Amino acid sequence: MPGIGVAPMEANLPPIVRRNYGAWVWHEVIRPGVLKHVSKSGEACFTVRAGMPPNARVSTALARRICEVANRFCGGYLRITRRHSLELVGVAEAELGAAIAALREIGLAVGGADRTFHNIVCCTGWIHCQFAATDAPAIAKAISDGLWEDFQSEGYPAKLKISIAACVNQCGEGSTADIGVIGIHRDLPRVNDAEVAKCEVPLIVSICPTGAIRPKPPKSVQVDPRRCIHCVACVGQCVGMPIGDPETDGVAIYVGGKAGNQGSGPAFGKLAIPYLPNRPPRWPEVVQAVTGIIGVWTKGARRDERIGDWISRIGWERFFDKTGLPVSDKHLDGYVLWPMAARTGVRFRW
Amino acid sequence: MLVVQLACPKCGFVIEQYPAEQLETDSQKQKRYQYLRKKQTLCPSCLTQTSKLEERRVEAQAGAEASVLAAAQAPAEAGAPEADEGPTPFCDELGRGPWPSHVRELRRTRYHMQMYEEALRLRQTQWGFGGYVSLPGVAAGLAVRASARPEIAKGANFLRILPPGGSFYSTETLGKVCDIADRYAYGLLHLHSTGGNIEILGIPTEQLKEVVSALNAQGLDVGSTGDAYRNTVECVGPARCDATLIDTLGIRDAWYRRFLDDVQFPRFPHKLKIKISGCPNDCTRSVQKSCIALIGVFRDAPKIDHERLAAWVEGGGDAAHIARMCPPRALDWDGRRLAIDQEACTHCMYCINKCPAIRPGDDRGVAVLVGGKLRGKYGPLLGRVLVPFVPLAPPEYRELFDLLHRIDEVFDEHARRKERLGDFLFRIGMDQFSRLVGIEPSAHQMAEPRSNVFYHWAAGPPGSDAAEV
Repeated sequence: MPGIGVAPMEANLPPIVRRNYGAWVWHEVIRPGVLKHVSKSGEACFTVRAGMPPNARVSTALARRICEVANRFCGGYLRITRRHSLELVGVAEAELGAAIAALREIGLAVGGADRTFHNIVCCTGWIHCQFAATDAPAIAKAISDGLWEDFQSEGYPAKLKISIAACVNQCGEGSTADIGVIGIHRDLPRVNDAEVAKCEVPLIVSICPTGAIRPKPPKSVQVDPRRCIHCVACVGQCVGMPIGDPETDGVAIYVGGKAGNQGSGPAFGKLAIPYLPNRPPRWPEVVQAVTGIIGVWTKGARRDERIGDWISRIGWERFFDKTGLPVSDKHLDGYVLWPMAARTGVRFRW
Repeated sequence: MLVVQLACPKCGFVIEQYPAEQLETDSQKQKRYQYLRKKQTLCPSCLTQTSKLEERRVEAQAGAEASVLAAAQAPAEAGAPEADEGPTPFCDELGRGPWPSHVRELRRTRYHMQMYEEALRLRQTQWGFGGYVSLPGVAAGLAVRASARPEIAKGANFLRILPPGGSFYSTETLGKVCDIADRYAYGLLHLHSTGGNIEILGIPTEQLKEVVSALNAQGLDVGSTGDAYRNTVECVGPARCDATLIDTLGIRDAWYRRFLDDVQFPRFPHKLKIKISGCPNDCTRSVQKSCIALIGVFRDAPKIDHERLAAWVEGGGDAAHIARMCPPRALDWDGRRLAIDQEACTHCMYCINKCPAIRPGDDRGVAVLVGGKLRGKYGPLLGRVLVPFVPLAPPEYRELFDLLHRIDEVFDEHARRKERLGDFLFRIGMDQFSRLVGIEPSAHQMAEPRSNVFYHWAAGPPGSDAAEV
C-alpha cells in the first residue's frame, strides 16, 4: 500500500558523498566526461559520466551490467543525472581508465560534460505513446550517432543540449534545450460521435484554447479547422478524438532555450524551422538541419556563449541570414502571446 | 465494516474504495472522493471513459479488496515472452551506429518489436488511448494504455516508482527494481522518465496491484501520476556540487514527509509539478517545467579569494574573459585585481561557475517561482517569481512549506478543471494571485511595474477574505 514514501536518502548515497555532504568547494572537468570534485577536507571525488540509450530505455540486462560495473569501481552506487546520463560517483583516480573501458565494453561512451554535446533528453515516442507525432528515440539515435565524436571531446564554444519531444505536450521538453526537436500534428482530431458521447463534452469544449471545438447535438462535438492549432489538448481528454496522419505529421525545430540564469537568462526555444517531414528510420532532413545550426553556432559564437546567448547578441536577422533558413508566416506569433514576440523598437541589425 | 466503493458503470470494476467511517472523518479523503465523483475516469479494466462512477455501499471484510479486484478481472495474461515474428528492417537500421541503441535494449526484453517496427514503417504510433488510473488503495502511480494493434500486442501498462533522493541508487536498490521488472513485466526500465521517476513498462492490468505490493515489500513506493503533486525533481545539490546554495536533498525529504498524501491521492484540478534547484544554474530546468520552482539564491556579493585568483590566473585562467562575459558587466579586471560592483551584480553564478576563486555569498535562501509549464492552454510559460527570498529552517522548513500549501490550496479552490497553475495565473493575473496567496508584494517580484492603468481597487489586502475580486 502507498504511504511508505521515498527511500531513505542515506541508504542510497555513496560513502564519499555522505562523508563530504555539503562540503564541496570546487570542481573541474579533468577530461571529457570525467569530473573531479574537491571537498573542504581535501578529499577528491571522481565521477565518470556516460551517455545512455535514447529515451533512457534500459533493459534489465543492461541495468544489471551497469550495476556490476558500479560494484567493481565505486562500491555499488550510481546516479542518473537530470539529462539521463549515467554517473559512477567515487571512482578511484587510478581506476578511471579501467572504469571508462568497462563502460565502453557494455556499449556506453564516456563524455557529455562542459563544452560538449550532452546526452539527449527525449520522450518515449512510438515505443509506447498514443500522442506521438514522430519518433523521438529514433531521431535521438540518429543525431547522437552523428555527434558521437563531439560527445567525447570538447569542441564547442559552450555546452550543447538537445531535447526531443514527439508531440506538443512536450514530455520530452523540446522547448527547454539549446536545440529542440518537437513533433507536430497538422491534421484535425477525428471526431467519433459514438465514442465522444462517452466523454465529458463540456470539458472537451472548455479545454480548447482557441474555441475551435463546439458542441454538436445531441452529444458530440465539431472542430473548426480554421481555429484549430493542433495542440492535442482535447485528444488526451477523450477517447473519441484521435489525431495523427502519417502524410502530414512531422517535426519543428526550436533553438535557443535554456534554464540557467547566465548570459541572456532563462528562455524557451524559438522556432527556427516550422516543419520537416517524418522520414524513418533516420530522419535525414532533421539531422542535417540540426548539424547545420550547430556548425554555424560553433563558428560564430564566443567562448561560453550558448546558442540562445549567441542569437541574442547577433539578433534573429543574422541568425536566419547565417543559417540560410527561410522565414515564413509560421515564424510570426499568431497565438495569444503575439504582442510579446512582435518587435516594437526599430533597432534593427542589417 | 461498511465500505464505500466507486465503480465503473460498464464492467463493475472497483476504481476506488474507502471505509465509510474514514470518509466521514478524514478531510483529505473527502476531497479525493468528491474529486473522483466529478472527474472523468478511465476504467483500468475495460478502458471505458466515464464521467459518472457508480457508487456502492457494501459490507466488507478486512482484506476483501484483493478479492474484489480478482473477481472483476479476466484471467491473467501470461507475462511470458511471445516471439515476435517478421522482419524488422527499420529497427535493424536503428540498431546500427556507435551510440547505444534503444532498439538493442528493446530486443533484450519481452517488448513486442513489431509494435515499434510497424510504427516506423507506417509513420504513425501503434498505441491506443490510455491514461492514469486508480486502483483500490493505489490512487496514483499507475497508467494503462490500449493497443491499436491487438493482433500484435495487447495494451501495456506501466507504473512509476518514486526514486531515492538526488537520483542516487545503490546497486542493491536498482537490482530490486530489475528483479520486479523481470518477473512481472517486459524487463524494460525507463531510467528515468523526464519527470524523474523510474517506469516499469509492460505490466498486465490484473497484476498491477501485485507489482505495487512487491515494490512496497522492497521499500519502494509508487506515485506521481494524475492530478496530484508529482514527484519532486531535485538537483544533486550538496551531495556532489560546490555551487549549490541550499540542501536540495534535505528539502525534498522533508517535502515528502509533509506532502506524501498529495502525491499519492490526486485531488487537484490538474497536476502540480515541483522542482528544486540548488542555485540559479537551475540544472532541473525548474523555471521552464514546473508549476512551483524552488531555486536557491544568495543576497550578498560573491566572495573573491584574491590569493587563489592570482594562482588561478598564473595557471592559465582568463580573468579578463570572465569580466568581459559577465552578463550585467559587474566585474572589473585591471590585470591584477578583480572587483565586483555589488549594485550591478545579479547573482547569476556565471563567474562562480567559471572561476574557483569566486564563491557564492553566505546569505542564502530559496526563491519561489510559480506557473512554469510546457503545454496547456497558453503554451509554454516560464515560471514567475512569487517570493524572491524565503529563509530556510531545517529540518521541517515550516515557513517554506506553509507557503507551498497556501499556493496549492488557492489552486485547488479557484482553478478550473484541467487548468495548469500557469494558465490559472495567466487568467487571473499576478496581482490577484498574490493577494489570494497572501504575499507581501515586492519589487523583486516583477521585471518591471505595469504600464497599463487598469487595477482592481475593490480587492482587499493580501490574504484577507476580500482578496478575491
